[in-house]
Amino acid sequence: MSELIEIKIPDLGGADEVEIVEILVQTGDAVEQEQTLAVMESDKATMDLPANMAGTIQDIIIKVGDKVSQGTLVAMLRPGAAEANATEAMAEEKPAEQAAKVEPPKAEPVKQQPAKTVAVSEPVASTGKAHATPSVRMFARELGVDLAKISQGTGRKGRILKEDIQAFVKKVMAEGVAQSGGAGISPIPEVDFSQFGETEVKPLGKIKRLTGDHMVRVCLNLPMVTQHDEADITEMEDFRKAHNASKPEYKLTGLVFIIKALTAALKQFPQFNSSLSADGQSLIYKKYTNVGIAVETPNGLVVPVIRDAEKKSLNELSAALVDLSGKAREGKLPPAAMQGGSMSISSLGGIGGTAFTPIVNAPEVAILGVSRAKMQPVWNGTEFVPRLMLPLDLTYDHRVIDGAEAARFLVAITQSLGDIRRLLL
Amino acid sequence: MADMHTEVLILGGGPGGYTAAFRAADLGKQVTLVERYPVIGGVCLNVGCIPSKALLHLAHIIHEAEAAESHGLSFGKPKINLDKIRSWKESVSKALNTGLAGLAKQRNIKIVQGVGTFESASSMLVEGDDGKQTITFDDVIISAGSQATQIPVFPNDDPRLWDSTDALELNEIPKKLLIVGGGIIGLEMATVYHALGSEISVVELMDQIIPGCDSDLVRPLHKRIKKQYKNIWLETKVEGIKALKSGLKVSFSGDKAPESETFDAVLIAVGRRPNGFKIGADKAGIEVDKMGFIQVNEQQKTNVEHIYAIGDIVGNPMLAHKAAHEGKVAAEVIAGEKSAFDALTIPAVAFTDPEITWMGLTENEAKKQGIEYDKGTFPWAASGRSLSLGRNEGLTKIICEKETGRVLGAGMVGPNAGELISEAVLALEMGADAEDIGLTVHAHPSLSETFAFAAEMITGTITDLYIKKR
Repeated sequence: MSELIEIKIPDLGGADEVEIVEILVQTGDAVEQEQTLAVMESDKATMDLPANMAGTIQDIIIKVGDKVSQGTLVAMLRPGAAEANATEAMAEEKPAEQAAKVEPPKAEPVKQQPAKTVAVSEPVASTGKAHATPSVRMFARELGVDLAKISQGTGRKGRILKEDIQAFVKKVMAEGVAQSGGAGISPIPEVDFSQFGETEVKPLGKIKRLTGDHMVRVCLNLPMVTQHDEADITEMEDFRKAHNASKPEYKLTGLVFIIKALTAALKQFPQFNSSLSADGQSLIYKKYTNVGIAVETPNGLVVPVIRDAEKKSLNELSAALVDLSGKAREGKLPPAAMQGGSMSISSLGGIGGTAFTPIVNAPEVAILGVSRAKMQPVWNGTEFVPRLMLPLDLTYDHRVIDGAEAARFLVAITQSLGDIRRLLL
Repeated sequence: MADMHTEVLILGGGPGGYTAAFRAADLGKQVTLVERYPVIGGVCLNVGCIPSKALLHLAHIIHEAEAAESHGLSFGKPKINLDKIRSWKESVSKALNTGLAGLAKQRNIKIVQGVGTFESASSMLVEGDDGKQTITFDDVIISAGSQATQIPVFPNDDPRLWDSTDALELNEIPKKLLIVGGGIIGLEMATVYHALGSEISVVELMDQIIPGCDSDLVRPLHKRIKKQYKNIWLETKVEGIKALKSGLKVSFSGDKAPESETFDAVLIAVGRRPNGFKIGADKAGIEVDKMGFIQVNEQQKTNVEHIYAIGDIVGNPMLAHKAAHEGKVAAEVIAGEKSAFDALTIPAVAFTDPEITWMGLTENEAKKQGIEYDKGTFPWAASGRSLSLGRNEGLTKIICEKETGRVLGAGMVGPNAGELISEAVLALEMGADAEDIGLTVHAHPSLSETFAFAAEMITGTITDLYIKKR
């Protein structure tokens, strides 16, 4: 009863001459329905070729490197298992064999429950066939859109509307039908780690997940470069320690000096206090100077923003810093306190490290990383002298900032920190 | 006759063929339609759906008049004038024939009368009363239909052995009529002849009448006709038919088979066979399967690029409304549109009394395919509209996907059920769920309400019945 079934390339959504890049089955393999038989690659995306029914592969006609289009014969399959299509074929043959022997009723219209009706109804039930009305299905057909690729419509109860098809086509035009994450990048394959030893799965917290999305977005959208430099903070530290020893209301940390130096540099180089417009055609300069500070909390990374940092004294900056980081650790930061930054600072100096490459907190265009200060021998022209050197890392969006500008900007900061009197200028 | 060329040739003027012809013409194609009979309309209009419905209408009047007796309204015994009935029935078909001819003329469709067979993949020989002619074409749509299945060993030349066409001719009302085949055609004709006075027996090979239909939908009809008809033999096979002077002597076999019996007429209604072998398909290179069906894709294309096929000849169900939709698809594809036949279901109706109808997934199929479903059933005994018609045996059933509530199938049995199924088909095509249907306001009192009530049996919002809390 099981005749060979042809497996052909389905509607590729308009793509033609798509290359077969991988064949995943061999002659004689038993395959499940929907199992991927081969992988095709167009200039925009890779697509899986699923088996349209379960069975055994009898003959593979294509080979890797072949260019295929809709309708190209891929393989021959001997259906296994009870398949809807096989039943259909049987149902249609029965009357022929029986008719000769005066058989059943088989009245004209609708003999047995018509095989075709069953066959077309079946997918609705088991596979949740596209939730779309006949006119929308027609529209999709005209545009060559496979409704199965639109997972959820915007209509009532997820019904796919004409607008959804239009939006889908626009999306495909813009980026191709990616099977996975953005930019047509294939996802990192799933691995069963338990085969290597005991594992435990813990869901990521919300902040971690949001940070992750943000980081991927930034990394994929921004061409980033990191510039490294060192600031001589020997004298700054002398001043800071002396000041703190005088038991002031606010003890000063090194970070407030860096904030101060950063705001001065932002004033001097206003392109660092800007954002690119959404269409990438213009630069939006900000007349305010708000500095974001990356804060580690038990739930993950947050970046509260100190408003009008350039107008604040070192004491006021200290107070603001204590307040914001305290709230951040308690998880009480309102969303508004984490928006509107000019640039952000990520300081790992308290922990260690000689340098790192922070990721820009887009839509800001640069971020300043701070590593651990270290006493180093510095050649002053005649001899080596011990100086406390602070490593700084400036990552910037190269669409907005050029390398020379970045170098000058970082030099300005190191100079301010090297001689904090400059901040009074 | 002069040979000619046409852009689109249609072979067969039934509901599929004329619909395809009209649509193709409306899309700017020059169309020629070949039809072997002098009128277009095909089986449906001339010897099928339409004349049978005219006769069934009269049968219903007879039954209703009878039933009204016990409600206090007496008409007396009906007087049957067979000639007048026949000519009225013919006038119904004729009105439609005339209408179609007018529609064809308005579209400048050339109609050629004769039997068409392929000479090649681009030409057809038409043999008519006026001679032979070859018509060449750019595209062709085969809509050559089907014909009633004959059993070769029966005395098919005996005028008392009928097929559905003979039965519709209404030449006489046999005293004893045997219907071979308890499907839709057989039971519709049984309804007509019973009302006209025949003593009816039905023999069916399967274990229920209208096989394939869910048994709960069939039961009310079976119960009613069991009282009306002399016999309904299930799981019984007709072994042979002998033509005697006194009638047709029919012998039966099977566990429940009765003794041989003689009937005044026997209607063979065991199905229809496609006309795939009668059109010279091989000369055009068209593949025809061993049953006589032509395989097509969803654009109604055969294995030959510019040759399309629609209707009974491409597969079951052999229904006019399927053919007409397929005809439109074929015409549109020829005209360059991206059409395809992707209807989710084709509804079926038996115009018996009570009528039986269903669409989408049957419960039988749902079980067979292991689909998780919810079922809502509303008995018409709780419908004021049904009771006021003097009927209480009806039933409306709806089958919804368990997870989403979306409609998968529906069926009804009861007077006028055939008019109710379209709402269910629309619900299926639109992807409606049980809630959508229950929340749609249905006019009261109407039989259509029962569809909403059946849906509310699933959602649990029904107030016209009481469901025990689980």
